[in-house]
Amino acid sequence: MIVAELKPIDEIAESISHFKKVAIVACGGCVSICLTGGANNADALARELAHPRHYQSLPPVFDTTTIQRQCEKDFVNAFLNIPPDADAILSLACGAGVQTVAEAMETLPVIPALNTSFLGSLDAPGIWREKCQGCGNCLLAFTGGICPVSRCAKHLLNGPCGGSKNGKCEIGEDTDCAWQLIIDRLKVLGRLDEYEKLFPLKDWSTDRGKGPRVQGVDRTKT
Amino acid sequence: MSYFVVSDNCNGCLSCVENCPANALSYEDADGKRTILHNMARCVRCANCWRVCPQEAIQFQHFLENRWDAVIQLGLVYCSVCGEPLYTAAQEKTLSGNMGRPLEHLCPKHKSADFAARQALFLKKKQSNRETQHDRR
Ligand code: SF4
Ligand code: SF4
Repeated sequence: MIVAELKPIDEIAESISHFKKVAIVACGGCVSICLTGGANNADALARELAHPRHYQSLPPVFDTTTIQRQCEKDFVNAFLNIPPDADAILSLACGAGVQTVAEAMETLPVIPALNTSFLGSLDAPGIWREKCQGCGNCLLAFTGGICPVSRCAKHLLNGPCGGSKNGKCEIGEDTDCAWQLIIDRLKVLGRLDEYEKLFPLKDWSTDRGKGPRVQGVDRTKT
Repeated sequence: MSYFVVSDNCNGCLSCVENCPANALSYEDADGKRTILHNMARCVRCANCWRVCPQEAIQFQHFLENRWDAVIQLGLVYCSVCGEPLYTAAQEKTLSGNMGRPLEHLCPKHKSADFAARQALFLKKKQSNRETQHDRR
């Protein structure tokens, strides 16, 4: 799922300070699961942002609402309810959600309240870890199900680099060496011979090389 | 309780059933009737059914309704002085079991008031005992 974190309050307050009424829109999808963009967070953010200490003049008035998935345009068009006197939307969604709402809104400015962090998974309650970069060419079949592109600090396809110690990456004790994890896993699977294979240079054109990626057939154009 | 609600426009074409990515929709043809079935545990609320329905019959807003469903109802125990709800009877059973004694039905405020009153009574008794002893001497 997509993991995001709240921007610093000062940055958010600054970005909405010249509006009178701001509709805070939570997203009911990924970012609500990672405890940053859901209805609860929208209410908490409204309470915090209403405090005059964040502004030179009067704080804006806030209204909060949730849309189940901000990244789906028809969904947003049909179900997003913004008070008519709102002069801006503060969106608690990932970058895709913010842009979708912005497209649907025509005239209202849409401002992000989150920084979209990564594609991750839940390690333990409350802890999300990056697991995927969406590179468009999955290697997990050959690496024991552990992604070197997202989990090796150097994105090495043939590792380890020699800098790891006791299974930890040289960038810090908190980071597991992805290649150590891969080797350990291949051992468990009895497939250590796969480690001998050298990965050729990866085709990064499936990553972002050809611009924004699209999936699906646009029936309106056929 | 049904979240998947369709209007009378539904003609039973099964587009929604065929296009639900989560296999949350199904149907049954029996006794001259077609029944559309929905399984909330599978449904991811993606709205695909709503998008594809040629009859615009699916009332997707039902999925989004800000509605509370009662989950369970349990008997309450109240403070015997002020009537403030304390805990459920079932919770009392667990708590008193853990503590090995029955619980007093008092809220924190009246528990401390009760304690203070008892302490005052105790001190008063102690004092009067002392005075009686003193008188005897
Ligand atoms: S797609 Fe619409 S009309 Fe067809 S069965 Fe489903 S609800 Fe009914
Ligand atoms: S909302 Fe999505 S998952 Fe749920 S029934 Fe409709 S198509 Fe299926």
